[in-house]
Amino acid sequence: MNPAGLQVSTPSDTTIVFTRTFKAPRRLVWEAMTTPALVQRWMFCPPGWSWAACEMDVRAGGSYRWDWNGPDGTLALTIRGVHREVDPPSRLVHTELMEMGPGAGPCGPEGGSSEPWELVAALELTEREGVTSMKMTLAFGSRQARDMALQSRMEHGMEAGYRQLDALLAAGTTGA
Amino acid sequence: MVRRLARGEQNLSELAAPLRMSFPAASKHVRVLEGARLVRRRVSGRQHLCRLEGAPMKEATMWIEQFREHWEQRFQVLDALLEEMKSDDRGPSARR
Repeated sequence: MNPAGLQVSTPSDTTIVFTRTFKAPRRLVWEAMTTPALVQRWMFCPPGWSWAACEMDVRAGGSYRWDWNGPDGTLALTIRGVHREVDPPSRLVHTELMEMGPGAGPCGPEGGSSEPWELVAALELTEREGVTSMKMTLAFGSRQARDMALQSRMEHGMEAGYRQLDALLAAGTTGA
Repeated sequence: MVRRLARGEQNLSELAAPLRMSFPAASKHVRVLEGARLVRRRVSGRQHLCRLEGAPMKEATMWIEQFREHWEQRFQVLDALLEEMKSDDRGPSARR
């Protein structure tokens, strides 16, 4: 297993914590996570989905919005929120409201619509000798909301997308 | 049967009916699951009530692993992007 691979833990009933390292200075990790053109390159979506909007005003009080369309061209998923704390390149806190639309098809909730889920995400980046450690804490309003996020049906679509991803990575390697 | 029990405690007759199992066959099945410490049975009057043992924890572990894999895939794409950004970074500065 990749020693730098993602660790996921649930230290309380309402939180999910991600930790991972990246072999890059945190200035670049910050840039990749806060620049719309770069976010669109790694925040991929299930096969057939496409980015419909990626807008980010990375300032305290600034809002952001990510929209994806499903294969039929209608809105599949919106993630939007407000930046609460912005301290580049070390700390970013934002709210996240996720809503699935009719375009999500089989990746979406049964019946085609869902209650939006809301959470507060706190990203912390530390750097040591050119390696960045990330800690991301997702705090939900209730245990039920947290469990729903863990069970997200989007996973099914993501699994199907892995093959596409492999192709993308292979193309990236030969192209570089 | 285990999937049905994930919804909560049920009596053995309720469990057996949709699976088209006889009561004794279902009872035997539950006995195996009891032996594997997956199911706990309690007898209340004439009802045999079954529930999953420690199920929330097992389920949560499975969800977390799926969730982890999903995000790890995204971060691997980010790794590749960061490599590209690092070489772009080095390029111009090396010429300075």
